[in-house]
Amino acid sequence: MDSPAANAAFAKQIGIKFPLLSDMNKKMLKAYGVLKNYDEGGDSYQWALRANIVIDKDGVIRHIEGGDSAVDPNTAVSVCVDLHRKQAPH
Amino acid sequence: MRRLLAVGLLFSLAPAFVSIPASSQKKEEVPKLSLKVGDVAPDFTLLSDQWKTVKLSDYLGKKNVFLAVYILAFTGG
Repeated sequence: MDSPAANAAFAKQIGIKFPLLSDMNKKMLKAYGVLKNYDEGGDSYQWALRANIVIDKDGVIRHIEGGDSAVDPNTAVSVCVDLHRKQAPH
Repeated sequence: MRRLLAVGLLFSLAPAFVSIPASSQKKEEVPKLSLKVGDVAPDFTLLSDQWKTVKLSDYLGKKNVFLAVYILAFTGG
């Protein structure tokens, strides 16, 4: 897992304007089922899946995908846009 | 998109792990997430790149949240 310091340098390097978070103790990854175990040669490794998760203002998951499909964020972005439109005052 | 909070989690891998070819991985679990649409998102507390504590519950009733779990970002960390 990358440290906050590494994330800060990376955010500055590529101009990211949103928070980059570190899950150093892997609690969030485990809670969301994103952390997977792999066994190789008698040793066990843990590796997080790529994942996109959209959570609405009520704390309800509106979109969740992991693995190869999560490499493309467009579906999750569409969910965000729809969510925003529905919540916008008429 | 003003009301959307986008956050990213970046993960790097230990060099020893990177050196393992994908084809040699054995007993790999089928990627399957434990949560589904409609579930209440478990709260979490994470540390931001500004060394500030960020909780999901901080945004309840305020903003939608886009979580992107991102591995192999090569942040150098």
